[in-house]
Amino acid sequence: MKQANANFDFDDDAPLLEAEGLTVSYSTSEGELIAVDDVSFTVQEDEIFGLVGESGCGKSTVAQAVLGLLPTNGAVPSGSIRFRGIELTELEKRELDALRWENLALISQGAMNALNPVQRISTQIVEAIQAHRDVSTDEARERTAELFETVGLDPERMDDYPHQFSGGMKQRAYIAMSLALDPDLIIADEPTTALDVIVQDQILKRLKELRDELGISVIIISHDISVIAETCNRLGVMYSGKLMEYGNLKDIFENPYNPYTLGLQNAFPTLRGEQSDLISIPGSPPDIADLPEGCRFMERCPFATAECGGEHPPLESVGDDHASACYRHDIVDEMRREAGDRETWARLRSEVVATGGAGDE
Amino acid sequence: MVNKRYLARRFLLMVISIFTVATILFFLFRMVPGGPMSAIMSPRMTEAARQRVIENFGLNEPLWKQYLLYMWQLLHLNLGQSFYYGQTVKTLILDRFYNTMALMLTAFLISYTVGIYLGAQLGWIRGTSKERAGMLVVLLVRSTPVFWTGMIVLYVFAFKLNLFPLGGMRGVGAQYSGPVSKFLSVDFLYHLVLPVFTLCTYYTGLPLLLMRNNLLEVLSEDYIDTARAKGLTNRRILFRHAARNAVLPVVTAFAIAIGFAVGGQVLIETVFSWPGLGREMVKASLRSDYPVAQGAFLLLSTIVISMNFFADLAYTYLDPRVRLGGT
Repeated sequence: MKQANANFDFDDDAPLLEAEGLTVSYSTSEGELIAVDDVSFTVQEDEIFGLVGESGCGKSTVAQAVLGLLPTNGAVPSGSIRFRGIELTELEKRELDALRWENLALISQGAMNALNPVQRISTQIVEAIQAHRDVSTDEARERTAELFETVGLDPERMDDYPHQFSGGMKQRAYIAMSLALDPDLIIADEPTTALDVIVQDQILKRLKELRDELGISVIIISHDISVIAETCNRLGVMYSGKLMEYGNLKDIFENPYNPYTLGLQNAFPTLRGEQSDLISIPGSPPDIADLPEGCRFMERCPFATAECGGEHPPLESVGDDHASACYRHDIVDEMRREAGDRETWARLRSEVVATGGAGDE
Repeated sequence: MVNKRYLARRFLLMVISIFTVATILFFLFRMVPGGPMSAIMSPRMTEAARQRVIENFGLNEPLWKQYLLYMWQLLHLNLGQSFYYGQTVKTLILDRFYNTMALMLTAFLISYTVGIYLGAQLGWIRGTSKERAGMLVVLLVRSTPVFWTGMIVLYVFAFKLNLFPLGGMRGVGAQYSGPVSKFLSVDFLYHLVLPVFTLCTYYTGLPLLLMRNNLLEVLSEDYIDTARAKGLTNRRILFRHAARNAVLPVVTAFAIAIGFAVGGQVLIETVFSWPGLGREMVKASLRSDYPVAQGAFLLLSTIVISMNFFADLAYTYLDPRVRLGGT
């Protein structure tokens, strides 16, 4: 039931989605806050791209910027987001609406409150279909039943209300809704956060299968690096509005260059179970209203030197499709060796405590 | 949708509440200084005449017997006779009740429709100068005493411009064949305009502010982002998704407001000389016309209690998450 979107002049050679120097700011009572600062990445066809980072690092803001869902006080003062060559930041609401769901769909935290609680699930899916396609309600309902089967739900239950579903079922229903118009790219913002590990695993598997079966690209946004590790081909590691490391998943996981990535890897149990000893990064990310002068991660980084205090490091290519933002790439072997050691981070913790918890409130 | 056993239980609870209120009212009015007879007995009555009156009203019986008698009569919807009018209380308060409802229901329906609509619009344009100006007007109108607005409205539209009658419910010499023709007559509607307008200026504020605040909360919910991401029009997002959820608490407010509306707006009824229940209750209390006051209070409580019941029922239809009484 795929129809060509006649309103747009897509560039077939352009990447599926390309963010270039993307900056997002919020105007608040504390002044202009930069939530996403000069972030660039590319998502190709048939790819699952991951954005990972702690809460507040700006990863969800990236998703909102792409879909034009920024709150009214949010804006994109510079940079661009191009979908198949179409500049999204310059579109009128009406034009953007034509792209939304048809080409660019969202998977939100369906397990929580992302489905309207007072409408039947079928109603919500039919609504999405009919907003873009001129089809009868019966046809749209048939499609809904089909979608329910695709995501492994019983079509008999499509007329239920969201609260009659379990968290995992709601997430599946949401995915069914995202697939309704056979989009090119789905942005999944914390798709498994409220789910238990077993259900999480099923959902992620399903997402991967859908990519293979339907050729849909996915951007997965998560704070959980193990989710990203399981599903993505490529990823970006974000910290405090900046992209710290970016590139091919295998390269980043096997040969991380950035101390923050090293720290993140320590903080999560690997699914292979090699390492059961979790080491957390001491301190917390800086307040974006009061950013440090130099590298954003400096205050929590055990390898920081005076050089790091000048300016945030630029993203530097360290391999084929692999870039990292750090001044200390030269000692990367030493960093990798020491990062797995609890002592390295503990040393920093005592410093953080001694200076009164810099960067912390 | 609604569980039958729950419904029966909820209904029984309502009946018990009304029964309790009737009991309290009965004893309350027997505790009033001077007793129920003080109003109709004069000191010049002979002792024999006094006894006759007391016997006529059954006041020589012990209190429990009086209570049982009262309850028995209540079951037959007999509320006694007015000391002042000589009419039965039922006829009297039903008449006043219809007058009040014609006024208050009209005012509430308009207020809540307009309030919900404007509240949703104001919430949607949050942060704009238009919204700030709107809020200022709403708060200003809402804080104005309603009797004062009434007097100003009367002065301008009735006294100065002579567009509407100064008060009352019907023109001189107007005759009606029945309640339907009375409440649907042009003459009646003509008299209704000013008091309803005045009430609306006051009552629109609550649903409007309630709706706006609820909407602001709802707009930050994830399912609104979902609706936006689906590429729906603003109109559809506002009315099908946001307002639909934000309206739920307003429904409760409406049901409770209707309940209290029965008591009428004494001030408005006074300013516009409207022969409603509120004014009658005040007059009955002043005249020590206890059967009327007691009957009016009972009617008032009954309506408040039943409106709460209906608000609960309405909720189950508006919010599928509410399944009264579980499975």
